Amino acid sequence: MPSARTLAIVIRSVEVFESSSIVTVFTRELGKAAALAKGARRLKSPFEGGLDLLSVSDIVLLPRASEALDLLTESAPVERFDTLRRDLAALYAGFHIAQLLSDLTDVHDPHPRLFDAARVTLRRLGEGDLRIRRVARFELFCLRELGLMPSLDTCSHCGRAVVNEGDRVGFAVALGGIVCHECRPGLAQVSLLPRESVAAMRALASPGNDWRNLEEQGRALGWARETIGHVLSHILGRRPRFRPLAGV
Amino acid sequence: MPRSGYRTAVDRLCAALGRLPGIGAKSAERLAHHLLKCTEAEAFELADAIREVKSRIRHCQNCCHLTEAEEPLCDICRDPLRDQTTICVVEQSRDLLTLEKSAAFRGLYHVLLGRLSPLSGIGPDSLSIDTLVERVSAGTIQEVVLATNPNLEGDGTALLIAERLAQFPIRVTRLARGLASGGTLEFANRDMLADAFVGRRPV
Repeated sequence: MPSARTLAIVIRSVEVFESSSIVTVFTRELGKAAALAKGARRLKSPFEGGLDLLSVSDIVLLPRASEALDLLTESAPVERFDTLRRDLAALYAGFHIAQLLSDLTDVHDPHPRLFDAARVTLRRLGEGDLRIRRVARFELFCLRELGLMPSLDTCSHCGRAVVNEGDRVGFAVALGGIVCHECRPGLAQVSLLPRESVAAMRALASPGNDWRNLEEQGRALGWARETIGHVLSHILGRRPRFRPLAGV
Repeated sequence: MPRSGYRTAVDRLCAALGRLPGIGAKSAERLAHHLLKCTEAEAFELADAIREVKSRIRHCQNCCHLTEAEEPLCDICRDPLRDQTTICVVEQSRDLLTLEKSAAFRGLYHVLLGRLSPLSGIGPDSLSIDTLVERVSAGTIQEVVLATNPNLEGDGTALLIAERLAQFPIRVTRLARGLASGGTLEFANRDMLADAFVGRRPV
């Protein structure tokens, strides 16, 4: 298989042998890949220090057809997010993003838009007043891009549009979104969310700027973040480890 | 049922060797066959060494470096000639040994037993930061040098420790980074140059 050159975010690195590493990268063109970087820890290597965690690098990857690891032959640093080295909450948020990319995506399944969204989010984690909203927005973008987005407009049980449901809207994590008033009685594990929190999730998931107007410490955003957390825990089968540390 | 048709003991040896870092199935099989071929004395020497190291070596109660089981403190913590006011914090004992070989530092050490590593499941609670804070709170320490690796995980770990030590009236410093001694600017990468500029100092 021919080599491929692409941009990549390093999401995991494990030291192996004397001076090599196995790195897991989320690439723009090839999706997630685990590759052996021979001699990556030597001072003079073809990787020029371009394999640091959560940095963007221009890499050359030799994909393997079999189940063996891909081979990383070159790497040059393109972008380093210095905020992550100065701000612990930003670093934890970065770790959380790496964990989502690692655990939610499949090997060699490209998602260029998700790559771009991750890069932009990592770049802006230093904006402390917007950080929680930015991470929540990335989480929803990630879910949407991977086809896991909870339904926020139509009933996840009957498919009808949900309008004028009153102050509280039913939400079933296992069904994948909101449920209408008619379907709610027969369903197990339906929680009732304030209407504003569903509106907050819609704002976070929409392309406009409405999400910027949500109050960072407000009740609606708090409920929305908690619900997104339940959805992620349900999909991952466990709570995302660094999410609470990042304040999200 | 033996996987490869060997006797069970050889299979067990292959499986045990294959769990070592950097050793795959083929290398494990090669090592196992070497042990089968070598003399009994040679093989038992290796087995005894492994047994001894696991039964006799412990973490120092003070700095978490390795020490013999009957000694609660390691050689460095017991040495009265070392500077008792400065602690150098490293990720693992191997880093401590590297720094000791350089003879550039004559103070005490603290081994974290790892670094923040999200996808390996190592969070703040897995590191020996509480022990370090206890040592500093005793009052004799004047400076803590953070010698974690110069990568994002190492920097994050240093950041976490610096936050925990901010309550004490001590200097918290980080090892300098940038150009390698004996290198040339032409072959320095962008990050090395950026770090060197940030850390420049008057001559």
